[in-house]
Amino acid sequence: MKTLKTVLATSLVATMAMANPSITAIKVDDGVDLSKVKADDKIWSKAKQADIALYPQTTIKMNDKNANEINAKNSAKEAKILAIYNSKDIAFKVEWKDTTDNTTNAASSSTEYADGFAVQMPTNFSEPKKLPYIGMGSDGRPVLVHLQKAVTSHYEPNGNKDVSLQVNRHQTNAFEKDLEAYDKNVTDAAISDYQRAYISEGFRSMTQIRDKDIAFNMDMSYNIDTWSATMSKSLKDSYLDLSKSGAFPVAFAVWDGAKLGRDGIKNLSTWVAVDFEGKKGNEALVEELTKKPEGDAAAGKALVDAMCASCHSYADKVAAMPTMAPNLSNIGGYSTEAYLVESIKEPSAVVVPGYNRNAHKNTAWYTVDAKGNRASTMPPMMSDDKQIADAVAYLMTLKAEVK
Amino acid sequence: MSKRQLAMVMDLNKCIGCQTCTVACKTQWTNRNGREYMYWNNVETYPGAGYPKKWMELGGGFDAAGDLQDGVIPNIEADYGVPWDYNYESLATENLLGKDADKDGYSLLGAETPGLHPTTEPTWGPNWDEDEGAGNFPSDNYFFYLPRICNHCTNPGCLSACPRDAIFKRDEDGVVLVDLDRCQGYRYCIAGCPYKKIYFNPKISKSEKCILCFPRVEAGLPPACAQQCVGRIRFVGFLDDEESQVHKLVHKHKVALPLRSDYGTQPNIYYIPPTESPAKFDAEGKIIEGSTRVPMEELEALFGKEVHEVVKKLKDEQVKRKETGESEILDLLIAFHHSDMFRLDNNYYQEVAKAKGANPLAPIDTRYVQGKNTKVVFGGGHH
Repeated sequence: MKTLKTVLATSLVATMAMANPSITAIKVDDGVDLSKVKADDKIWSKAKQADIALYPQTTIKMNDKNANEINAKNSAKEAKILAIYNSKDIAFKVEWKDTTDNTTNAASSSTEYADGFAVQMPTNFSEPKKLPYIGMGSDGRPVLVHLQKAVTSHYEPNGNKDVSLQVNRHQTNAFEKDLEAYDKNVTDAAISDYQRAYISEGFRSMTQIRDKDIAFNMDMSYNIDTWSATMSKSLKDSYLDLSKSGAFPVAFAVWDGAKLGRDGIKNLSTWVAVDFEGKKGNEALVEELTKKPEGDAAAGKALVDAMCASCHSYADKVAAMPTMAPNLSNIGGYSTEAYLVESIKEPSAVVVPGYNRNAHKNTAWYTVDAKGNRASTMPPMMSDDKQIADAVAYLMTLKAEVK
Repeated sequence: MSKRQLAMVMDLNKCIGCQTCTVACKTQWTNRNGREYMYWNNVETYPGAGYPKKWMELGGGFDAAGDLQDGVIPNIEADYGVPWDYNYESLATENLLGKDADKDGYSLLGAETPGLHPTTEPTWGPNWDEDEGAGNFPSDNYFFYLPRICNHCTNPGCLSACPRDAIFKRDEDGVVLVDLDRCQGYRYCIAGCPYKKIYFNPKISKSEKCILCFPRVEAGLPPACAQQCVGRIRFVGFLDDEESQVHKLVHKHKVALPLRSDYGTQPNIYYIPPTESPAKFDAEGKIIEGSTRVPMEELEALFGKEVHEVVKKLKDEQVKRKETGESEILDLLIAFHHSDMFRLDNNYYQEVAKAKGANPLAPIDTRYVQGKNTKVVFGGGHH
C-alpha cells in the first residue's frame, strides 16, 4: 500500500505542476472585418495557439439510456484555440478532433444529433473568485452562450409567417412542375444556419436571445477528422462589454453527434483567461485562472474520501446514490479552484440547478424558500483553510485523461 | 399539480378500432410541418407491438422510489414507421396492361416494375399488427383495441426529463404542453415518457405532442378525437367537477382506471376495461360457458389489481340493470346523447382569460415570459 501511495502522490504532484494555460488575443488591424472571419482566413497566422482541454460533463447524468452507454467512459479532448481582436470585434478559432462529421438537416431522423460547439462568457467578471458556475451560469451570475450546430436546414414554428409552406406536399393540389416549385419554396424558407445566443443563470433558465442587440457570427467546417470553427462578436453589446477590459474569462464546449451528444452530453473546458495583447487591466483574473493549486493533494485525498464520498461519486468512489449530489469525476477539469473553495465553505453561494426536482425528489440538491431562494442541501464541510486548500488540490486532479 | 385537471375516460368495450379519432387528430394537427409521421392519437391492437413499436419496453417513467428512469428514443423509420407514397405520377405514362401487370394493372414483379407500388418498401407503420392479437384461432384467440393519446399526467415523465424547463403543465386545466420557444430538441422528454406520447419533429428540431385540443376545449368544444368518435367511447371533463361524467366514472363509481399506472406518472386518461369478450371454444368447437377470452392477467398488467373489482362491478351492474332497470353507471356508459359525454366550461376559460389579460392561454411557459435576463424572450412573430 505504501508504494501505491507514493506513486499516487507523485502523479498528483505531476498534475499539480501544470499551470492552467491562458489565451492571448492578438491585436490585428481594424481594416480586417473580424465579424466575417472564417476558419481558413490568413489572418489566423498572426494568432498564438493555446491548447485547452475539454472534459466530459459528468456532473449530472442524462436519462437517455443509449447515450449513457455510449458515453460511459469518455476521455477529455483537446481544442486548439486562437484569438484575435481589433477595436470593434473579437474572434476565436476553435479546432478539435472528431472522426465523424455529424451534420443534420430538417429531414434527419429522430435518433440523429448534430456536432456543435459553444463559447461561453460571464456577463460580469469583476470578482475573479466569484465567476459564474461553469454549467451555464448560476443565480445572480449570468453567462452569455453562443452556440453553433452543424445543422444545414431547420425551420422555426411559424417563424416567418409561412403557414402555407407548412402544408404536406400531398395536400397542395400541386402536381409535377407546380409541386417542384412548392418543394423549392419550402426548401428556401429553411433557416440554413443553426446559430444562437443565450443568456442563462443556470442551465434550466437558459433562454434564447431573440432581440437584435447582439451581433455575433459563428461558422463550422469539417475537414479530415477535424472541425474548424470560428466565433466572432462585437466587443460591446448590451449584454457584455469587453471594450474596457484587459482580460476576460471564456469557456468552450463541443458536442459529438456520433455519441448522441447534445445538451449535457458534451465536453467542456473550465474558465480560461483571455488576455488582450497590449491592453492593461484584469490582471487579477488572469492570475486567478492560471495559478497552480497550492494545497497538498495527497492529504486532500484523505479528507475528500472521508468527508465527501458518502454523497458525491468520483474516481473509484461510487458508494453514493448517483443522483445524490454532483458527480465529481471531472470536477478538476472544468472547475476553477476558487469555485471549489467557495462551494466547500459556502455551499449555497452557487447552487447547481441539478436534476429536475421532480425527477429525483428524494435526493434534492437544494431547498427553496418562500421567496424562491435556493439553499444547497450540502452543509459547509471544512473551515480550516489549510484543509480546504488540500481538498481543493485533490479535487483539481479529478479529471479524465486527454486523448 | 395543477389547480384543475381535465381528464378523458375511454370505454374500451365500445371501441371498434375504426381510427376515426386517429384521422380526426391527424387532419387537425399532424398532417403537416414535420409532424407527418406522428400520431398524437393512435389506436393499437392489444396484445401487439403498438405504436411506437414495443413502447412498453422503452423505459421512462418513475420507479417505486419516484426516480425518473432512463429510456430509449425510438427511431422514426424503424419504430414509428414513415408514411409511404405510391407512384401515382408515373402511372400516367406507363403501360399498365403490359406483360408484367395483372388484369387489374397491378405489378406482378414488385417495386421496380410498371404498375402501382409504394415508392419505398414499407417495413413498419402504426397499426402494422392490426387485429393480430394473441391465442389460437378459433378456440381462444383474442384482442381488443387500445386508443392512446397523451395522458396529460399529474407527474409527467417528459416534464421531469426536460433540462430546459421547456415542458409545462397548465395550472388552469393540467394540459401538458411544450413551450416551443424554449425547446431545444434534446429529446430527453421522449426517453422520459413511458407512453412514448411525445414526439420529435425533425423539421423544426423540437418536440411536439398532443395538446388535448386546448384551443377547442377553451371554446367549450371537446377534443377532435372525442368529438369524432364513432363508437362514442370518450368522455371529457374536469375531474373536480362532481357533475362531470369523468368524475362520476373515475371517482364516484370507480370503474375507470389509468393505463400502466405502475409507471408512476399519474395519468389522467382513464379506461373502462374491456369486460365484453366472447367465450372460448373447446376442442370440438363448443362454447365453454363462463369463460372469457381476454385473460384477466393481461388486464391486470395494463390497469393494475383494481381491474378485478372494476370488471366485477360492471358485470354486477349489468345484472342489476336487467333485474331493476336501474343503473347510473350503465346510463353513463351508454351515453344516450353524444353531448352527454362532455362537460366543458367555456365560461371558466373566459374567466381565466379575463383575470390574465390579453393572450391569456398562449402555449408558453409563464415562468419565462417576463424575460429575467433578456429584453425579449419570445418575439419576431413567433406567436
